[in-house]
Amino acid sequence: MLLSSVVLVLQETLEAALLVSILLTISNQQWHKLSWLWFGLFGGLVMSFLYANFMVEISEWFDYVGQEIVNATLQILTTFLIAVCTWALFKSRQFDMPGEGRQNNRFISIFVVCATGAVALAITREGSEILIYLNGFLQQKEYFQTIVAGSSIGFSIGLSIGILIYYGLLNLPAKWRLGAPVILMALFAGNMLSQAAQQLTQADWIPSTRAIWDTSGWLSENSISGQSLYALLGYEATPSAAQLIAYIGGVVLVLALATVGHYSKHSHPATSQVTS
Amino acid sequence: MSRKMPKHLLLLGLAAILYSHAAAAKTPVIEIDIKDHLFHPSEIVIPADTKVKLIINNLDPTPEEFESYELNREKVISGSRKAVIFIGPLPPGEYPFFGEFHPKTAQGKVLVK
Repeated sequence: MLLSSVVLVLQETLEAALLVSILLTISNQQWHKLSWLWFGLFGGLVMSFLYANFMVEISEWFDYVGQEIVNATLQILTTFLIAVCTWALFKSRQFDMPGEGRQNNRFISIFVVCATGAVALAITREGSEILIYLNGFLQQKEYFQTIVAGSSIGFSIGLSIGILIYYGLLNLPAKWRLGAPVILMALFAGNMLSQAAQQLTQADWIPSTRAIWDTSGWLSENSISGQSLYALLGYEATPSAAQLIAYIGGVVLVLALATVGHYSKHSHPATSQVTS
Repeated sequence: MSRKMPKHLLLLGLAAILYSHAAAAKTPVIEIDIKDHLFHPSEIVIPADTKVKLIINNLDPTPEEFESYELNREKVISGSRKAVIFIGPLPPGEYPFFGEFHPKTAQGKVLVK
């Protein structure tokens, strides 16, 4: 009981912890902004409670696949917010002149709002599952202490890994300091969209196909490394075609918006009279 | 006349939905119960390359999470409620599943033949 609760809560925590550490790395490195995180955490907590509380009703929507549809919606929204974050990051970097512009432009606000939303949505899905899990054991008094202990351990490990990733990313050599978090954001978005495709297949909203390959002999999803890779990057030993396409789609979307943000012209306060 | 267009489109949409439901009716349905954190039956047999609709009745008052790495499926089932999960089409083989909230006892497998 103890070990299974450690594993369950750790799995749920890892994904959100990874997203938080990537987004926080960027906002700290670029603009020394950290306080948005509290809004994301708080919003996520409130929405987790709501989602967990209404899970019975939501599950019965759309002929008993409401849970899948809501999860997929949250995952697609998260992907979208991450993509906008990347775009805003590169847009804001065009204000490279010294002084006000670098630290104070509207793209920073766009990044912060989208990052807050993405963190809140990620916590909503994972948090609600933990709450339903813990709530279930409130009725099984003999296990409750063990479950709470195991969940706390799992949560602490997840949090520690998140903090490690955060400081790891902050202390990368200068040439990787921007690229590494952006690549991680692209992979995270791919993971999110692939999970959305999985949920929609499970609900029979998109047609199911046979798995396109099977790497379970090489790296099983039952193994510790397989589970960690699943939680962090969305590893699937037997992905469907829809999942693979969605994964690539998420990665390409983020990288494309990063490129657009980097190269597109904008009406710069200093140059707007010339360009417009 | 032009105001009637949306109505026609609506009818067309309804027809499409009804058709898809008629097609869905051919999907085999298998029911599994959860009782005392055990799956009944704990082993089900389904045909290869066929989509199957699983209906899982959680007869326990506590929630459970249906999980299977091999089937790529994951779903929370509230206490005393039922859930629908579509699986397949699958190649022949053994596909274990378990209840993530009670993994010691809640174990089962899908045999695809």
